[in-house]
Amino acid sequence: MPVFRWGNAWEAFRDLEREMDRLLRGVHASIPGLRFGRQYPPLNLYELEDEYLITAELPGTRPDEFELTIANGILTMKGTRRDPEGIPEDRFRRQERFRGEWQRSVSVPERVDEERLSAEFSNGVLAIHLPKAPGGQPRQIPVAEGGE
Amino acid sequence: MADELIPRPRSESELPSRKPASSPRLIYTPPIDIFDTDDGLVLHADLPGVSTDTLELQVQDNKLTLFGRVQSPAPPEARGVHREYEEGDYFRSFILSDDVDHERISARMSNGVLVVTLPRAARPAPRRIPIDSQ
Repeated sequence: MPVFRWGNAWEAFRDLEREMDRLLRGVHASIPGLRFGRQYPPLNLYELEDEYLITAELPGTRPDEFELTIANGILTMKGTRRDPEGIPEDRFRRQERFRGEWQRSVSVPERVDEERLSAEFSNGVLAIHLPKAPGGQPRQIPVAEGGE
Repeated sequence: MADELIPRPRSESELPSRKPASSPRLIYTPPIDIFDTDDGLVLHADLPGVSTDTLELQVQDNKLTLFGRVQSPAPPEARGVHREYEEGDYFRSFILSDDVDHERISARMSNGVLVVTLPRAARPAPRRIPIDSQ
């Protein structure tokens, strides 16, 4: 069960990121001097009064070319970035843009209402809205009597 | 140089003369692809967050310049919790060779990617130069 506490919660995200780095090592082309030397796609997380907002830069991706799923508190986005129109390699004079498979996973804070999660895609930027769930009520955990 | 057709990126220092007003913004060099087609060259540039309305593309003399303003999807009151990219604008310029027909350059934006088509100008057929042997 993912524990996502505000303040240090993003550490969990980083761990996951490191893990993804390990799994996908070699998949991401890094380009010195350009901003996409890191994970693809880069993500930002914002907090607003009633929601969290995740933005991801996915230029050239059509909404039907990636998958966004949430399961067990992990939000996963993945897809494939293809070559432009199947141009053979030897026709390229310059190739700096990321291509290939990508995947990012984020632990979602427990205070998020997963049912009302929504996403929009505009000019190559994905925005995922994670509405905050109403304040967490302490839950009573029944303790059963031991057998003895 | 063999690859005269290649638009060569210009140095970072050549920023657009008309700078965006107000607060200073980061300016990035967008990653690009350039490939040959039968008719000329095609350039793709990743400009996430840039729309048709916020892109300036111009050809002057033999220089092609792109400048894209990014509109943030996050409202101004949003508090950044985790940041892997800083929002900024995009600038890059290229020297076009004479092989490109400047008049017929066309461009479109699609999902944050700029596609510029650079048709090859008609050129006279190459002239063979006979070489005398001694």
